[in-house]
Amino acid sequence: MSVAVASGGGFGRWADRRFKYLLILPAVLILLLVGVFPFINILIVSFQDISLIFEDRSFHGLLNYKRLFTEARLWQAILHTVIFTLVALPLELVFGLLMALLFLEPIRGRQVFLALLIIPTVISPIVAGATWRLMFDNQFGPINQILGWAAGEPVPIIWIVQKGFVWPAILIAEIWQWTPFMFLLLLAALSNVDKSQVEAAQIDGASNLRIFFRIVLPAIKPVLAIVLLIRALDLFRLFDVVWALTQGGPGTRTETLSTYAYVQGFQQFETSYTSAIAFVVVVLLSIVVVLALRRVEIAR
Amino acid sequence: MARVRLSGLHKHYGALHAVRGIDLDIPEGEFTVIVGPSGCGKSTLLRTVAGLEEADEGAIEIDGEVVNDLAPRDRNIAMVFQNYALYPYMTVFENIAFGLRARKFPKPEINKRVQEAAELLDITEQLVRYPRQLSGGQRQRVAIGRAIVRDARLFLFDEPLSNLDAQLREEMRAEIKRLHQDLGKTMIYVTHDQVEAMTLADRIVLLRDGLIEQQGAPLDLFERPETRFVAGFLGSPTMNFVPATLEASDGGLAVRFAEGTTLPLPPTRAQAVRSRAGSAVTLGVRAEHMSRANDAGTREGLAPLNVTIDLVQPTGSRTYATFNLADTAVSAELQAHDVRGPGEKMALLVDMNRIVLLDPETDRVL
Repeated sequence: MSVAVASGGGFGRWADRRFKYLLILPAVLILLLVGVFPFINILIVSFQDISLIFEDRSFHGLLNYKRLFTEARLWQAILHTVIFTLVALPLELVFGLLMALLFLEPIRGRQVFLALLIIPTVISPIVAGATWRLMFDNQFGPINQILGWAAGEPVPIIWIVQKGFVWPAILIAEIWQWTPFMFLLLLAALSNVDKSQVEAAQIDGASNLRIFFRIVLPAIKPVLAIVLLIRALDLFRLFDVVWALTQGGPGTRTETLSTYAYVQGFQQFETSYTSAIAFVVVVLLSIVVVLALRRVEIAR
Repeated sequence: MARVRLSGLHKHYGALHAVRGIDLDIPEGEFTVIVGPSGCGKSTLLRTVAGLEEADEGAIEIDGEVVNDLAPRDRNIAMVFQNYALYPYMTVFENIAFGLRARKFPKPEINKRVQEAAELLDITEQLVRYPRQLSGGQRQRVAIGRAIVRDARLFLFDEPLSNLDAQLREEMRAEIKRLHQDLGKTMIYVTHDQVEAMTLADRIVLLRDGLIEQQGAPLDLFERPETRFVAGFLGSPTMNFVPATLEASDGGLAVRFAEGTTLPLPPTRAQAVRSRAGSAVTLGVRAEHMSRANDAGTREGLAPLNVTIDLVQPTGSRTYATFNLADTAVSAELQAHDVRGPGEKMALLVDMNRIVLLDPETDRVL
């Protein structure tokens, strides 16, 4: 206080210094409204016992959380989600990176190819899923037809039902849709790598592989980390494609965390139980994001 | 050490014909400076020698071997870039060692060489730092260290000093020259700065629009330019060019300006241009070849010229005085106290032995 007085402050000065807070106030309010309030509401509901039949708003302690640990179907869904993320993410990364490297070279019709490649990412995921359902159709789908031509006889694969085919079908659709996203961001990062560093390394005698791993990769690492994080979070919430193709079926074979939560929340109306799932997922992902962002910070 | 020979070199960038047929022979151990205004193709030429650009036509020979189809890494050359091109995620040590590691040198050898290079360039203290922690001059040293550590046969410099401030530029210029004296390697140095070219070069190659305008020892080019472009490019301030006519007078020749003033040519100079008597010429005279007339009298070849000074620019040791001659602003370099201020009338002496006469049609020296 004495400082403010000594510097001949008064209200004008005080307002001046606080003005920045005033400016971010609307954003903070909106954030509270759409971010924090639902989060707290979920937390509250998860400690109650609300479902289609009952609406018991009294405190039930960890009732719903206990159920989380005993529900085998939930753990199966989590396992599906984790494995799918671990498989799809590296594939998208490798394909995206290779495509981006390809596009670094000046090629004829680059703009046209770019525009075409971005289409999958622009399409609504549920539409993409529906499209792939047609593609994979066992009678009229072009995929079986093409495989049939290659095999020389009709191929009777029922992609979205048959064991051993249903996950790959989802994987293909997911990679098809999201690799371009990876590609686009990596292309932007790669285009920004200082060309003279690469040239200096060439003259220094480094092989292309060495140049990639020692010069290019470190330079795109921050973008790479962010892209991987975004895609990992997306994959962990995998819903649309699965829903459009299999709705988690056959049975629960392709159920992911998100489709499971959807079924519990909006088909079984297990509101409190679903809230508990959502809360745990949010907490877990928040921890992952914070840790990941801290790593990115260090890398920079 | 390497001898470099370029023959019939062409390079296009789409519609732009950047290098338009260059023949150049660089002997072993020579410091060649390729100089020219921006866009003259000098960097392209250097990058073609390095293998970073492919020549469209012509041959690049290093030590008698045509290297057109060799990748940069197989040409055994070193290059220093304008922006240093240091690897930002490696320490100075790793930067300098990068080429050695890539070429699978044994570890003790790498340590020894990096240490030696660091000592030579006085960056031993910086070896553990990262490029972003260094000053511009230190970065430049690291870039040079990276080049010399590999013992390459040919050194290429692409405007290496243009990102440094004036004082540092002078320091590093001297260091690069010393480096050449110590290592004795063949070096090709590209710059747009004629002072750098003059001070560093064993030989200057002056490039214009993708072609060699003139090449030779720095003083040769300075004193005996073949074209107006060369005469105007080298030297600071720029040579004055004044339209005039060449006329016969008293059995000799004189340069006559529109207002009637004449400057007699000494007999030795007159001989060569006698056939031009009566035709229009351009007189080229450097600021430092004019002086204030004093009582000591004139020596052979000094021609008096009466002028009215209209602009005075002191630099400390010298003062530049600008006056009007044949509707052209002409600048003379005088002693600091030779001129008092604008409006002063004075007699100058023009050293007619050092002037150049140009054909105004072709801009070639007569």
